[in-house]
Amino acid sequence: MPATVPSDPPLVDQPAAGRSWRGLRNLRLLYRRPSSAIGTTIVLIFLGLALFGPLIAPYGENEQIAADARQAPSTTHLFGTDRLGRDVFSRVILGTRDILALAGLGTLLAVICGTIFGLLSGYLGGLFDEGVMRFFDGLLAIPALLFALLLIGTVGSSRNSVLIVIVIVYTPIVARVVRSVVLPVKSLGYVEAARTQGESTSYILFREILPSVSPALTVEAALRFSYAIFLVASLGFLGVGAQPPTPDWGLMVSEARHNVSQTPWAMYFPAAAIAILVISVNLMADGLKRVIQGSND
Amino acid sequence: MLGTTFRLHNKRLHQSFLIVILLIAFLLAACSSESATPTPPDSPPETQVENTPTAELSGPDPVAREGILRVAMQPLAILDPAFISSDSEVLIANHVYDYLVDIDPQSNVIPRLATAWDVSDDGLTYIFTLAEGATWHDGDPLKAEDVVWTFERLRDPDVGSGAADVFTEIADIQATGDSEVTFTLGETNPFFLNDLSDNRALIIKQGTEDPTDFNGTGPFIVSSYSPEDRIILTANEAYFDEGKPKLAGVEVIFFNDETASVDALRGGQIDLVMRMSTSLFESLQDEPGIVTLDIPTNGFDLVRFRADQPPGDDPRVIQALKLATDREEAFQLVQQGYGSVGNDSPISPLNANYFAADIKPPARDVEAARALLAEAGYEDGLDIVLNVPDTGGRPDLAAVLKAQWSEAGINANIEVMPESVYYSEAPGNWLDATLGITGWGHRPHPQVYLDLMLVCDAQWNESRFCDEEFDALVSKAGSTMDETERIEAYHQIQEILISQGPIIIPYHFSQVAAINDAFQGFELKAFAGRTDFRDIYLSE
Repeated sequence: MPATVPSDPPLVDQPAAGRSWRGLRNLRLLYRRPSSAIGTTIVLIFLGLALFGPLIAPYGENEQIAADARQAPSTTHLFGTDRLGRDVFSRVILGTRDILALAGLGTLLAVICGTIFGLLSGYLGGLFDEGVMRFFDGLLAIPALLFALLLIGTVGSSRNSVLIVIVIVYTPIVARVVRSVVLPVKSLGYVEAARTQGESTSYILFREILPSVSPALTVEAALRFSYAIFLVASLGFLGVGAQPPTPDWGLMVSEARHNVSQTPWAMYFPAAAIAILVISVNLMADGLKRVIQGSND
Repeated sequence: MLGTTFRLHNKRLHQSFLIVILLIAFLLAACSSESATPTPPDSPPETQVENTPTAELSGPDPVAREGILRVAMQPLAILDPAFISSDSEVLIANHVYDYLVDIDPQSNVIPRLATAWDVSDDGLTYIFTLAEGATWHDGDPLKAEDVVWTFERLRDPDVGSGAADVFTEIADIQATGDSEVTFTLGETNPFFLNDLSDNRALIIKQGTEDPTDFNGTGPFIVSSYSPEDRIILTANEAYFDEGKPKLAGVEVIFFNDETASVDALRGGQIDLVMRMSTSLFESLQDEPGIVTLDIPTNGFDLVRFRADQPPGDDPRVIQALKLATDREEAFQLVQQGYGSVGNDSPISPLNANYFAADIKPPARDVEAARALLAEAGYEDGLDIVLNVPDTGGRPDLAAVLKAQWSEAGINANIEVMPESVYYSEAPGNWLDATLGITGWGHRPHPQVYLDLMLVCDAQWNESRFCDEEFDALVSKAGSTMDETERIEAYHQIQEILISQGPIIIPYHFSQVAAINDAFQGFELKAFAGRTDFRDIYLSE
């Protein structure tokens, strides 16, 4: 059986069933390189903030203290206060949960949808493959933000709209990656064997092929997660995500921008939070990629 | 050997070809961007007014006009004077055309095209004498018939101008002389002179077929108009008011973004900005070479609650909202002290004789608010949607109110929408929303607000407030010629609104401006569009 040449080079050279999971169990390998060590630590810190934010934050997310309005960072307000007298430090902490949850859930849904399409498309091939891939190519051609604005113009801005946008924008990418890993695998011996035994397509896909796809998928999911965080922040900035006065980081940057001459800290700290989180998730994804590649040497 | 040389030669050719392409692309980009960025002229424009007999200047010395004032404003949408409404539209029309009478910064009526007027004892006949020597930009002289034609057009239902609602009590208009116009009213209107200076009541030439052709009597002539870019005005040498204007010209440059216009002011590309957030205004306070001005206005942000449907149809809910509001805090946080605290009535402290300083809304009482809500059936709190346009201080006001109201168990879910959507027919728009915040701009006297927004059948009665006693008081205040009666009526009106009106007016905002200090004689008006450039001059 001639091996089909994949259109995109897969992240692993020779996927072997069963072996790929070992790499994922050795997460401490992430700490081998300083870049992924830093990235992972920061991500864990943000996760901690998301879980325990309300316990750590000194003030409420909408607590307005008029007398403290527009104060520079100080001992009572670590990141200063915004124009309405709200503590920026507390709002940044409390906003962590929303952005991680939204980006995380969106990425998870996109990964699930993308995996299903990628598996089916890669395995079935033919007209289905062509149709789905060309359709996804079309979706990919539309810039994400433009698409988001168009969609939100019709369904209205809310957290659900943001989720829908993430799913629609990232499913095609995940599908492509999954498909490219499926292609060289589907013609391998054990898959052939399963087919001959009369196993159902879904069994073959989810019990035989999916494990080989998992390493690449995990890395791609982590990468998509970092982009999703940035997309959620961008939509918040444009005012089409969370509504005020939710402590959405993107929204905080947007509101503070008009008052940057009076309260620059109200803009810089949420912006820095977005940047640090995105970079950290990216570094972690990079570390994951090396771990998985390493385990297959 | 040969093969290698050929390949290297090819690569070099390739590279130089690439460089040439890049250079061409760069040059093209540079050339096109030059025409896109606004380059302010540093000397008066070349175009001069033609030497026609009507341009003869009376007096021995012609006026030395110098300086071009560059103003940042929003782009124009409407050019026909009978339909204009925005600051920028009114500003430009105010300098291309003239009003019959004008309003000064202290809200007094002053002469413009009408130099004098006579009011009959019964208040039903007004006779205006027009200025001598006023001419249209096309050269023809101003006639009394032009004034008559203008107002007939404004009142014509086929033309459809909103100004028709302002002039309902006019029974007849006649040209009673070469320079004399007589208005006869069907009923008395103590604010008639004010109404004649409605933003749309600019005098246009009789028989004008295209009202957007900028043919006015005004102090400036339009020399060029580029819709998304700028409009260039040059001084009208034949202007009837001798010695004015003192500037050589005005350039109105269109900006969509406030922050960008303020940056341009700082950078010297603009001389005057009249629309900016309080924060931007504060940041200009100590800027060298720039003078900042602010003037309190009658305008306000109106928190309005539908009183014709649940939950607002229960007066206790309205009371609870009013009791849970801290107007002083809202004023400090949103307006940073510019303007004045409001009293839930459209009659602002600026109207010194009408404003009832002795009555105020009750002090904030969160517990009482909770108790009232429980009585009304909302022991577990009240959930309500608050619709807000995305302009001005309104989104911030919504956030402040949400925090204040949450202490009384009122959970307001804020929905911010683009201003154009808030004032459209979309769901949740200003006339439809259960709870919303609408911005009402400055009007010279409070009667307009009462007539437009609070009487039972008012065109813009957002809250559906309807009280017979209130309507009677408004009607009396708007028609009586007895000032004492009017003051008494306004006092009672304020009592009713403060105690039970389904509206909260936390503050009246200020109009701000920042101008290059090289220009003198600038007097800011509460409605920025009516600011007068005729007296501005360039100092040495």
